[in-house]
Amino acid sequence: MGAAHSASEEVRELEGKTGFSSDQIEQLHRRFKQLSGDQPTIRNLRKGPSGLADEINFEDFLTIMSYFRPIDTTMDEEQVELSRKEKLRFLFHMYDSDSDGRITLEEYRNVVEELLSGNPHIEKESARSIADGAMMEAASVCMGQMIWQGIDIETKMHVRFLNMETMALCH
Amino acid sequence: MLRAALSLLALPLAGAAEEPTQKPESPGEPPPGLELFRWQWHEVEAPYLVALWILVASLAKIVFHLSRKVTSLVPESCLLILLGLVLGGIVLAVAKKAEYQLEPGTFFLFLLPPIVLDSGYFMPSRLFFDNLGAILTYAVVGTLWNAFTTGAALWGLQQAGLVAPRVQAGLLDFLLFGSLISAVDPVAVLAVFEEVHVNETLFIIVFGESLLNDAVTVVLYKVCNSFVEMGSANVQATDYLKGVASLFVVSLGGAAVGLVFAFLLALTTRFTKRVRIIEPLLVFLLAYAAYLTAEMASLSAILAVTMCGLGCKKYVEANISHKSRTTVKYTMKTLASCAETVIFMLLGISAVDSSKWAWDSGLVLGTLIFILFFRALGVVLQTWVLNQFRLVPLDKIDQVVMSYGGLRGAVAFALVILLDRTKVPAKDYFVATTIVVVFFTVIVQGLTIKPLVKWLKVKRSEHHKPTLNQELHEHTFDHILAAVEDVVGHHGYHYWRDRWEQFDKKYLSQLLMRRSAYRIRDQIWDVYYRLNIRDAISFVDQGGHVLSSTGLTLPSMPSRNSVAETSVTNLLRESGSGACLDLQVIDTVRSGRDREDAVMHHLLCGGLYKPRRRYKASCSRHFISEDAQERQDKEVFQQNMKRRLESFKSTKHNICFTKSKPRPRKTGRRKDGVANAEATNGKHRGLGFQDTAAVILTVESEEEEEESDSSETEKEDDEGIIFVARATSEVLQEGKVSGSLEVCPSPRIIPPSPTCAEKELPWKSGQGDLAVYVSSETTKIVPVDMQTGWNQSISSLESLASPPCNQAPILTCLPPHPRGTEEPQVPLHLPSDPRSSFAFPPSLAKAGRSRSESSADLPQQQELQPLMGHKDHTHLSPGTATSHWCIQFNRGSRL
Repeated sequence: MGAAHSASEEVRELEGKTGFSSDQIEQLHRRFKQLSGDQPTIRNLRKGPSGLADEINFEDFLTIMSYFRPIDTTMDEEQVELSRKEKLRFLFHMYDSDSDGRITLEEYRNVVEELLSGNPHIEKESARSIADGAMMEAASVCMGQMIWQGIDIETKMHVRFLNMETMALCH
Repeated sequence: MLRAALSLLALPLAGAAEEPTQKPESPGEPPPGLELFRWQWHEVEAPYLVALWILVASLAKIVFHLSRKVTSLVPESCLLILLGLVLGGIVLAVAKKAEYQLEPGTFFLFLLPPIVLDSGYFMPSRLFFDNLGAILTYAVVGTLWNAFTTGAALWGLQQAGLVAPRVQAGLLDFLLFGSLISAVDPVAVLAVFEEVHVNETLFIIVFGESLLNDAVTVVLYKVCNSFVEMGSANVQATDYLKGVASLFVVSLGGAAVGLVFAFLLALTTRFTKRVRIIEPLLVFLLAYAAYLTAEMASLSAILAVTMCGLGCKKYVEANISHKSRTTVKYTMKTLASCAETVIFMLLGISAVDSSKWAWDSGLVLGTLIFILFFRALGVVLQTWVLNQFRLVPLDKIDQVVMSYGGLRGAVAFALVILLDRTKVPAKDYFVATTIVVVFFTVIVQGLTIKPLVKWLKVKRSEHHKPTLNQELHEHTFDHILAAVEDVVGHHGYHYWRDRWEQFDKKYLSQLLMRRSAYRIRDQIWDVYYRLNIRDAISFVDQGGHVLSSTGLTLPSMPSRNSVAETSVTNLLRESGSGACLDLQVIDTVRSGRDREDAVMHHLLCGGLYKPRRRYKASCSRHFISEDAQERQDKEVFQQNMKRRLESFKSTKHNICFTKSKPRPRKTGRRKDGVANAEATNGKHRGLGFQDTAAVILTVESEEEEEESDSSETEKEDDEGIIFVARATSEVLQEGKVSGSLEVCPSPRIIPPSPTCAEKELPWKSGQGDLAVYVSSETTKIVPVDMQTGWNQSISSLESLASPPCNQAPILTCLPPHPRGTEEPQVPLHLPSDPRSSFAFPPSLAKAGRSRSESSADLPQQQELQPLMGHKDHTHLSPGTATSHWCIQFNRGSRL
């Protein structure tokens, strides 16, 4: 970690990789240290069902954060498209809890349940039926195409995502 | 011509208005005893005139909209102003004096509040708060900038001698004028922008600005006015400070008043359970009270009403009944549109009165140029600053539209009329200038903004219905963003939003919402519920035709559509069972009727429950008690789940039949195999009993449809069609065989019933708690390139030789056929297929019934299965597919 901090090349490398400016990296690093308690990695993340790392180092941290960078005005169409794709992929993986490349109904239900968990009066059943309805809707849009279904939908919505609330992030 | 008609229409009115005003003047003679007929115009004059004006305005609106062409080119506000000019001219000519003008008092107390309330109440609050920073900047800084620069520039113009010396005005007068002319007008903006449909961010920024700048305008106007009245010599430094302070007092005070009333309103509606009928009234009363209170305290009334509408909506909507909600919505819209119409018309009429204004070309031209120039400059400068902070910067085109969309309107006019001529000697000139500016912005800019938007290719707002997924994703997004902000340790907008929502959920909602409403209060749930209700309503409205759209619009039988549609319920009653239908079928083997009956069967299957439902709904809408109503809602809701499934299914079916169902913006990625298999499936059905003409037809439609898709898709689809064509003879034979073999007649209907088969089908594989059949649906899902897997599965099927599930295999076999794989087996299966399919209707009906009996999740699960099925099947490798099938078949056979 000290290395990441001191070696400016490393910072530059990270810059190139994640697109953050060195200031931002600096700031994020400070935050990272704060979160990790001055360890090189953050541990004790809640362990996911599968395929989830139980610790991340600073680079991982930065990579994750870089998904939340706003779109640069200087980027050309292709890059914008690319970064959109990246963001969507990231989102997709948030839904896709077993990371098998598709969002199953079960996974979607879980997401919806969690979304609704704030309200104790809504039963699981309704959450399920909502997820079901959403899935059906998705299916009718995507004609049974499921692997990329989530992505497809988000591509559709994503203009609004990116326009309205594109990832606010630190500077 | 249009205008001539209008003026004709207006003539008698003007005459009527004019005559009576003179009548009461001459009641010279003594009253001649008892009057048989008394003309009491005088007593009803005022309200009568108001009603007449509104009537004229509404009629004008109707006339304008008779011609689509005119309204698509010219904004309504322009037409109304022009109409006002004409009417004003007539009134002036007839009465010899200007009447019926836009009185500031009327305008501020009666005409403006409905418009503002409407816009505040229906403001997309999320969007508004997301862009609050930009809106506030433009509203406050922008308005100040406009006012001061315009005023100062005009003063400079006067100093330079370009304004005639008879315009007696000092710097303060010009600043006063600048302050009233600089504010973008909500009424004008709304009128023009609603027709332009620019993207929502742009709209909310311009419109939000026009609403919020009211506070600034009011303050500036009042401060300048009092400075002018005091005389510039007497103004002290503290007065300037007070002026600045009053900006905060007026704006924050106005907002506070609005919020207080919003709170009261929400709280009141919480307790209206037994007096539902006054709910809408409460909304209007309290909002109006907010307006008047703010006006009374000389705070910003517009801001107050806006905040009231914005603040109360969430809670009020949750509290009041569904009907009240509709009432509120329509009344508000009606009032607002009425007020708007009258405002523009009166504006036109007022402009005719030449006694009020005095012309000075230098001033008028100067003002026009300055407001345009400074508006543009201000927008560019502010946007530059804002873009440093905005994550999604506003680009140049947005800026052009924003500066060009700075319309001035009736507020400016009313304010300038309010000026005191003794204190502001140049009032007449200001009035003339304001009129010109308002007319110029509303007419010229209003006319050109649409072409401009088109020409600049400004992002338009797409109209689409809210979808569940959208809502879900947006929520997930909010959570993710809040979490990320938290991780990063940067407490930004999303963090605070999240906090606010927590707070709202914990305290506010609990306090302001009915307990019953609060319990189920959740946005996602709301959207879900609304969507379902909408679907259910449209379903009921169509008398169950949603499903029929699949079958009834088959290209080959257009003439019979109506018959089939209307007679569904009758048939249901008459025949009572499928048997009758089947007899007919047997009579007319392989005729068009087969198909029709099949279609009918579809309809019945899908709609068995519907006739009853519909009847009940229409009958009970008004008389049913609240409880029953709720139960009914629930029923609709559940029923709807089923319907959704069906419409989802029928969408798929439609691929090959009609274009009537919107094939939702497909991304070209759709697996062609699905459509393909479906096409074959559908065609198989059609071909089996029909002449080849139908095939051609369908092929065409298919192609048309596919045009929008990628060429790849097209090709593959074509291929699919070819399959079918070749398979025809076999299918036909099948038909014959089965037809002759039939003992139990009903099966005949089934072949066409993938819909019903689909319903139950194999998706069960996961849960297995419901009947498992192998349906044509399954086959559809398997893409063409997986045909091998198919064949394998089919052969495994054969080895199993489980009778009940044979039908599906047959259907599924068809696609592979042309490739010469499995021809011989087909006929073998036929006899058995009836049975499997025969089972559907009862089970379906059962499902429907059980659904109605509040076992909600059973149907839901059922419906769900298809999705899972899809997913699985689509992506199964051939090998797995085979095993999968086996399992399903086993299940099926067990059943």
